[in-house]
Amino acid sequence: MELQKIVVSHDGKKQHLQGVSTAIQRGKITTIIGPNGCGKSTLLNVMARNHSPLQGKALLDNKDLVHYRPKEFAQKFAIVYQQNDIPQDLTVEKLVSYGRMPYHSLLKKNDADDDKAVDWALACTSLSEKRQHDLSALSGGERQRVWIAMALAQQTELLCLDEPTTYLDIYYQLELLELVKELNEKHGLTIVMVLHDINQAIRYSDHIILMSAGCIVAEGEPRNVITKQTVKEVYGVEAIFQEDATLGLYMVPIGI
Amino acid sequence: MKKIISTVIIAALLVITAIYAATTGSIKMGFWEFISALFDPNNETMAAIRDLRFPRIIVAIFAGAALSIAGALLQAIMRNPLADAGVIGISSGAAFTKLFIVSVIPTLFFMTPIFAFIGGALACFLVFALAWKSGLNPLRLILIGIAINAMFTGLTEAFISFGGSLNASASSVLGSSLAFKTWDDVTIIAIYGSIGIVLAFVMYSWCNVLALSDKTAQSIGFNVTLARLAIAAVAVLLSAISVVVAGVIAFVGLLVPHIARRIVGHDHKVLLPFTALLGAFIILLADTIGRTVIAPLEVPASTIMAIIGGPFLIFLLRKG
Repeated sequence: MELQKIVVSHDGKKQHLQGVSTAIQRGKITTIIGPNGCGKSTLLNVMARNHSPLQGKALLDNKDLVHYRPKEFAQKFAIVYQQNDIPQDLTVEKLVSYGRMPYHSLLKKNDADDDKAVDWALACTSLSEKRQHDLSALSGGERQRVWIAMALAQQTELLCLDEPTTYLDIYYQLELLELVKELNEKHGLTIVMVLHDINQAIRYSDHIILMSAGCIVAEGEPRNVITKQTVKEVYGVEAIFQEDATLGLYMVPIGI
Repeated sequence: MKKIISTVIIAALLVITAIYAATTGSIKMGFWEFISALFDPNNETMAAIRDLRFPRIIVAIFAGAALSIAGALLQAIMRNPLADAGVIGISSGAAFTKLFIVSVIPTLFFMTPIFAFIGGALACFLVFALAWKSGLNPLRLILIGIAINAMFTGLTEAFISFGGSLNASASSVLGSSLAFKTWDDVTIIAIYGSIGIVLAFVMYSWCNVLALSDKTAQSIGFNVTLARLAIAAVAVLLSAISVVVAGVIAFVGLLVPHIARRIVGHDHKVLLPFTALLGAFIILLADTIGRTVIAPLEVPASTIMAIIGGPFLIFLLRKG
């Protein structure tokens, strides 16, 4: 995925993205971070074709996003949103099988492929035993995994996650990030996610895009992007950085 | 299992009500007499029943099924349990254009279903367009629907007032009586109604996917706008055809899918057929009660539905 000088405005006046250019690296975990309203979710929404840019181009496999048909795009790009309505009377398995829709047409449907993809998605997210359960019977962490499983069933190379940890408590946050890491390492998925927690971003990303006021301030390896200066500049927070033998780099905010 | 039992029970009740409706009234018949007469082409009483009551029963069944399915479809696309063709103005939009055509260009009478469809579609479009503000807020949608409904009902009433005696037939156009139905009415509602009902069944999986958030539905390659448009068109077709043949009957589309969901759940694959069956039964029952309870006077089925439906809507709103 490649973004070229993307300009987005929700109201036609203020530019919410001001000519953003970047490229998502294959097989890596890329995390977009930045303060509230910096445009990180907007950027993700441009990638997901929810916002069409005023100017600039977004390319996936060298093809402009506007030229993709919906199903064709959904075979290459999967996204999990932060908030999801929970449909009633729906089993885990049934919801995950919705992820196969990009491969269905009015006449064509390959049940064997579908079953395989759904089984795989459920196994990846450790939901195989809960496949017959109703969605309403699941915990918050499990539900988030169900949405990821649905996205996995799309069998895309690229998986995006919009603030996947926001409504979860710390245990499920870690469980989820470990899952993301596993999907990347074991299954070679390219991951793009938006996170709020800077330390989680440092720990789980190969590449960080730091945004502020609709622009990319810095991007690259975590330790080059998240520094005393950038944190002060972007978040207005004083922070100290420590190195831990097993954890690596971590940050402690100390004041404003 | 519960689903099968409920379906069988409702189907049985529908048949019993239909037989009761056919044999009760100014001409009476016993059950066995009726059954044997059914296969006797020379039975005169039966001929009267066939001409007078059968059309009414069949129209009631189709109108109930069509309106209930329309309600279920509207609730799916508007993501709103309170949506109903009668409540949000689709029926009154259809009724207005029907009245307009019948009285202004009577030569186009045979095209009333099409004009009613246009009127209903206009009302539906207005509700959608005015209520849409980066998503559909349930409350705003219902309030705008009520406003649109009031507007079309007002237009219809004004039209009748202006027309005066010229429109002696107007009140019967507006009225939701199921009385005096002919086999011609049956033909219209059976053809258009069946088309609409079959299309609705075909689209059941779209209705299910619309229960997801719009963005999520889009992310799996689902064309949300197209699906909404197509389902809305079917819902408008079903409500318009009911209005053309049976008049405006409010609350059916609200009441029936809600009860159906309680019984068979939210999966549209089961919900839509069951809603059709239940709606057919409830309208036929309402009409039969209305016509027998203070005979020879008649209470229209729509009045009975309004008496039940009004409090039910309040109950739903209170429940949030």
